[in-house]
Amino acid sequence: MSQTDKNHISSGQIRQHLQARFRKWINRRIPPSRSITLDQRRIFIFPSRVGLFFGLSLLVMLITGINYENNMTYALTFLLATLFVVGVLHTYANLSGLTIHAVRAQSAFPGQQSEFEVVIEKGRRRPYVALRAAWPEGSERVINLIDQDSVRVRLHKAVGGRGWYSPGRLLLESTYPLGLLRCWTWLDLDLHALVYPSPVVSEALSGLATDQPDGASQPIDGNDDFSGFRNYRRGDSLKQVHWKGLAKGQNLQSKQYTAYADRSVWLDWDMFPGLGIEQRLSHLCYWAMEFESRGDEYGLRLPGLQIEPQVGEKHRDTVLKELALYGVSERHL
Amino acid sequence: MKAEQQIPRNALVWIIITQFSLVALHIQRVPIWVLAVYVFAAMWRIQVYAGRWSFPGRLVKIVLILIAFAGIYFSYGSVIGLEPTVALLLAAFALKLIELATRKDGYVLLFLAYFVCVTEFLFTQDLLIVLYSIFNVVLITTALIALHQPGQDRFNFRTIRLALVMLAQSIPLMLVLFFLFPRIGPLWTVPIKSHTAKTGMSDFLRPGDISNLSQSAEVAFRAKFTGPIPDKTDLYWRGLVMSRLQDGAWSSLQYYDVPVEHRRPIVPQLGGEPILYSVIMEPTQQNWLYGLRHATSDEPKVMNTSDYRIFSPVVLEDEYHYTVQSWPDTILEPELSNWRRQTELVLPQGSNPRTQEFARTLRLSSASNRDFVDAVLQKFNSEPYVYTLQPPLLGEHAMDEFLFQTRRGFCEHYAYAFAVMMRAAGIPARIVAGYQGGEINPVNSTVIVHQFDAHAWAEIWLEGEGWVRVDPTAAVSPDRIEWGLEQAMAQEGSFLSSSPLSPLRYRSVVWLNTLRLRYDALTWRWQSWIVGYDSERQYEFLEELLGEFDARKFAAILLGTGALILVPVGFSLMGKRKIRHQNPEDKYYLTFCARLAKQGVPRDVGEPPGAFAVRAKNLLPADALEINEITNLYTDLAYAGKYLGDERRSTLLRDLDSAVRNFRVTISSA
Repeated sequence: MSQTDKNHISSGQIRQHLQARFRKWINRRIPPSRSITLDQRRIFIFPSRVGLFFGLSLLVMLITGINYENNMTYALTFLLATLFVVGVLHTYANLSGLTIHAVRAQSAFPGQQSEFEVVIEKGRRRPYVALRAAWPEGSERVINLIDQDSVRVRLHKAVGGRGWYSPGRLLLESTYPLGLLRCWTWLDLDLHALVYPSPVVSEALSGLATDQPDGASQPIDGNDDFSGFRNYRRGDSLKQVHWKGLAKGQNLQSKQYTAYADRSVWLDWDMFPGLGIEQRLSHLCYWAMEFESRGDEYGLRLPGLQIEPQVGEKHRDTVLKELALYGVSERHL
Repeated sequence: MKAEQQIPRNALVWIIITQFSLVALHIQRVPIWVLAVYVFAAMWRIQVYAGRWSFPGRLVKIVLILIAFAGIYFSYGSVIGLEPTVALLLAAFALKLIELATRKDGYVLLFLAYFVCVTEFLFTQDLLIVLYSIFNVVLITTALIALHQPGQDRFNFRTIRLALVMLAQSIPLMLVLFFLFPRIGPLWTVPIKSHTAKTGMSDFLRPGDISNLSQSAEVAFRAKFTGPIPDKTDLYWRGLVMSRLQDGAWSSLQYYDVPVEHRRPIVPQLGGEPILYSVIMEPTQQNWLYGLRHATSDEPKVMNTSDYRIFSPVVLEDEYHYTVQSWPDTILEPELSNWRRQTELVLPQGSNPRTQEFARTLRLSSASNRDFVDAVLQKFNSEPYVYTLQPPLLGEHAMDEFLFQTRRGFCEHYAYAFAVMMRAAGIPARIVAGYQGGEINPVNSTVIVHQFDAHAWAEIWLEGEGWVRVDPTAAVSPDRIEWGLEQAMAQEGSFLSSSPLSPLRYRSVVWLNTLRLRYDALTWRWQSWIVGYDSERQYEFLEELLGEFDARKFAAILLGTGALILVPVGFSLMGKRKIRHQNPEDKYYLTFCARLAKQGVPRDVGEPPGAFAVRAKNLLPADALEINEITNLYTDLAYAGKYLGDERRSTLLRDLDSAVRNFRVTISSA
């Protein structure tokens, strides 16, 4: 191994090591919590790039003062230098006392943007201005807390693979009021988005395991009888909606059919022999969504778990959550 | 562009106000077209804001910059030197507004603005200018803050409050730094003021020059005596000694006009009691200083010449503070060298023949040089000579015309005529130009010398007496010497006739005059303590205040003041002033939640009360009734509270309160 290779590797290792050290350190300093109030342990402050440029300008002014032996130039230079120092307090105060609460994270499919919601609440009567909240590689928002006491912030970030997705630490920063100093904090709000399996289209299901209610084993296609109307409920299939009635100005209604056999299917782990776990989950996910959109009742059987056939958004969420968390050790976060 | 990086409208308005306020101080100093650039830039930027125009392209920007350079070159004949540089900076400062698109541009512009403030100080550090500049600094800081207030789409005057607060908090530490920071000399030479007009007395005296200068009410210098102030009639402030008469004008001998062996000043035998005083001169762009005769100084910045005047090694670009001792009884040059005698006797060939002839005749009929001098003064005194600020113009043989025809003249006419007559009669004579008298400010006992105190008199050399002052003006108008120009011109009414607004014209209005003198006393303090605070003063000041001074004390004072200021500021900003203006129903409900949390049933953040109630009932079935009741009461109050009558509302609140109170009892007993 050549000398340069060795160096290269060791510098990469050093960086990794440092990152790990930083993570460990910051986890100790600002431990994950659903709601964090910012104090001196959690706020970092350092001159911004503009602040360094400002310092350079002050140096030029100081040299002008020295070379022209001009006392008012000295005075202005010192005034601005002290303004910078006073600015440390004002910049710091613009973050200090804020409380950030985790509210919720939207579930999403892999690669989608999930919405993370936090509430930022101020602890003092003073206005808080120009707070920038952002997730690394996610969306950002600039918030003012002037008259109101708290603000609800929705931030988006693309989620990763199936299971719980943690967006990482939330960056909250501000350079108000002078822009010369940057004050920031990294918060782990213990906020996790549920990521469903990525739905994958598969061939029509061969061995659809149907439910066997009360001896009826009629084929289910096309033999339903129309039995009447009922008011539309969420979850009813759009195919069942009585559009003509709606056009006549009636309420939104669904057509009811009586089936000889309920159109309920079981989505079963064993339907996809020979496939890996993730592929099975992806297919199951696809079919769950498919049946949901058809308005058919569907149940789910996973090793060690069974969900009775049903239809509707809530049911779908339950099914998808089970698929998302299949094999995930931490079920509740 | 990120929303954060945009310039809020509020900031834009503050920036434009700041720019105009800053350039206002430079109005007199820059060519008029630079001001036009400000109006042009502001209009363009406002049009951009309105969406009618767009930001300039790269080519347009380059063209604008080139035009600015060309303009400076045509206005000043050069782009080098302090004035052209400042004018260029001001033009660039204006043009920056046109391309002000992002916050980054805003920083560049505002830091430039602070520097524009500095350029003003390079020209003047006058108290009023400094006060106005403080206002400008507030404006710039306000604009800087406004730049960080997103969503301010309306001009907001309150932004200035924070700027004022922050600057006020900065002042104490600034003062400490100002007084403690070591004053070191220039690190390298810097461009000097090459285009600023010279003011005050010039080294070139023609009849009519001083009467012109006497139209001005500007202050030439101020002096403060350690002892009592000498009599006004003795206050002859020598500035220039003019030994050379050429083409009808007097001027002083330049350094190289003097032969090498005569260049070094002959140190006279100092005699009598010295008068101690310090002088602060206004900038003149020339290098001579003023002092009573015979002035010496220990300071290296005050030098002597062979004709006993004092001068500064550098041109006076700023206020100049120096301390001198004067020895009024000193005999100047008891022995006159041949070269000096020759120089002080020479008259241009064939000039003023009648005057010369008259002088020679008069000398012959006088018993001694002294008698001759008296006879000449007697002539001025007894014949109808008029002392006037409006002397007639004179022709080729100016003194012949003045002495025998017009007989109207100002001090320089009398001094000129006197010196010519002396030289014609063989007495070495020269003209001294400077100031005579001054206004005594009773507030702080300084002598304020104005330009209208400008004066010219003569010095003659007499055997055994050396150089002796003779003021022919005193023979014509004793009032001038005793009371000053205003009294001398009372009849003519010509005093400051060209400056009707000068406060000096209203000295009879008592309160106005008191105000003026108080301000002048303040100016003295300002100039001697703040503007003139140099390494010497610093040493004196710190020694007196703190005794032996070292780095440890420096650090202690800096840190001490820092803590004294910053700790209270920090407390006022970050003190525990938690806001508490909860609704009573929220308070009761949160108490309820806290009790449940104690039982191991915490409410999640953002969990709706209904959902929480369901969860809690599952875990604590024994308390289902109470949980339901409280939750219902609370949701009624929280979501429908506005629509309930006051009475109903207070009943519900009471119920909720007692339900929550009792709730604890139920659980603990369970």
